[in-house]
Amino acid sequence: MRETPNFTGWRATILHRPDATTDRLTRQLKLLGLHVSVQWEPLASTDLPDIVLVDADQGWDDLLPWHDSKAPLPVVALLGSEAPGRIAWAMEQGAGAIIAKPVAASAVYPTLVMAVAIHAERTVALRQLQHLEERVRLRPLVHGAVQKIMAARNVDEEHAYSILRNCAMQRRFPMEQVAALILAGAEPLPEAG
Amino acid sequence: MADAVKIGILYSTTGPYGAIGRDSRDGAEFAMDEIRAAYPGAVEPVFIDPQGHIPDYLEGARSMLREHGCRHIVGTITSIARKEVIPLVEKHDGLLWYMCPYEGFEANENVIYTGACPNQHLLPLFDYLLPRYGRRPYLVGANYVWGWEMNRLARELISKAGGEVLGERYLPLEETAVERIILDIEQRRPSFVLNNLIGPASYAFLRAFRALGDRDSAFLPENCPVVSCDLSECELDEIGAGVATGHFSVAAYFDSLVSPENLAFKAAASRRFGPQRRLSNIFASAYAAVKLCGETIVAAGTDEPQAVRRALSGVPLSTVFGPVRIDPDTNHMALPFLLGRINDLNGFDIVNAQPAIAADPYLTRRRTKTPVRLRIVS
Repeated sequence: MRETPNFTGWRATILHRPDATTDRLTRQLKLLGLHVSVQWEPLASTDLPDIVLVDADQGWDDLLPWHDSKAPLPVVALLGSEAPGRIAWAMEQGAGAIIAKPVAASAVYPTLVMAVAIHAERTVALRQLQHLEERVRLRPLVHGAVQKIMAARNVDEEHAYSILRNCAMQRRFPMEQVAALILAGAEPLPEAG
Repeated sequence: MADAVKIGILYSTTGPYGAIGRDSRDGAEFAMDEIRAAYPGAVEPVFIDPQGHIPDYLEGARSMLREHGCRHIVGTITSIARKEVIPLVEKHDGLLWYMCPYEGFEANENVIYTGACPNQHLLPLFDYLLPRYGRRPYLVGANYVWGWEMNRLARELISKAGGEVLGERYLPLEETAVERIILDIEQRRPSFVLNNLIGPASYAFLRAFRALGDRDSAFLPENCPVVSCDLSECELDEIGAGVATGHFSVAAYFDSLVSPENLAFKAAASRRFGPQRRLSNIFASAYAAVKLCGETIVAAGTDEPQAVRRALSGVPLSTVFGPVRIDPDTNHMALPFLLGRINDLNGFDIVNAQPAIAADPYLTRRRTKTPVRLRIVS
């Protein structure tokens, strides 16, 4: 079960020309406990808020200080247009959820919850991806270390691999790291177990 | 004002929650007659009865707003009906007066909420119950957002308190086959049952639970009470006198409340409905909503919703609940917390009372910890 989302004390920046839409959003965000600022100029890359709500109807590329959907925080798009180009722009800014204009009060809380959850999911997925990429990149080292153990201990590949794995487990290192140490000669060659 | 201002009253007096709707309508009508007696020609009610059919709520609200020229609608009981009507009220920039206890997570500019949300009912209820009865409840609920969300929140509260939810079951409003749930409760032996069932399902459950208590004393109310956040006097007669004795319900109002406001209220109501009539939270809430709506319109000299909302917000209001305020940010009314234990006469004995609690519909203040106070050592 998920915990009741609570935004008390969060800082939200609305990037939108001040008008009835921003008034309505500000009211609703404030009663959810957020501190709200409204601006219609590019967001500074320093002192970022906790969440950004951006006008996707009129937003331009430099409004947000990041590119390639790599938003470092949850982004909500405010969208009246149905033009595919504007939807694409919103996604390129990293928007995880959309509030349609005119803003319905009942849309705000669910959208925040969803945008925050999607951003968290993306962050976790990105971290996992980077971790896996790193392991793939270091795979040749593991192969090299297995070859070295096979030759030194006169065992088959499967056996050599399990020696390496046991060694990594005992030292609580990733296999790739132990393999690199073995190849560099910084680690004594493990005994055949 | 040249023409009488029309106020829509939208309640279902038949259907699964008809008992609640009839009491709501009576309370609304009672208030309306008082206003019309005090200010002849100022306001006029438009009654529409959707008979528990969701499409008829929408049609009724449409007719009130478009054909009758209402800008205020007092009504809807379930969250499904409220959610159905709100977009239309928003479109016409009207004001919906919603007066039932509900599951929270809403604060619409076009709605005045005079019914309690969870920080006004469920949270103080659990504060009372957990130390006294234990932290291992069984949850039952109506198969829609009220039951689902109340039980989700209950689960969160129980898990934070280090307890355990022993079971969670749902029934449609009109489903009265409760035997399997009762059997499950008998086997799991919870410390109490949170009842978020509505209408016939709730009444059947309480009857069957009584029978369970009769054959196993572990399920007598003093050992394993059934607690509700919305069960009121007008429903106890449907369950049967004495059947639910000893179980609990939360409300902002009980007939048995001893206060100057209530004594005057009951005296006036008994002249109209007879001395036997037991007033309920629902009756009092509908009465209070219509009174506030009508009297504010008369005082403001307009039914323009913005003006009415401004006139109401943040100022002390005298109601049958005592003096309360409506929060200008959330449009929710502060409400007292009363915990009633059902007695043999189908009334409630008040066992715990807290003064008006400001509504926190999104539970934003709940986890704001109060700072540790340092003692001054001199």
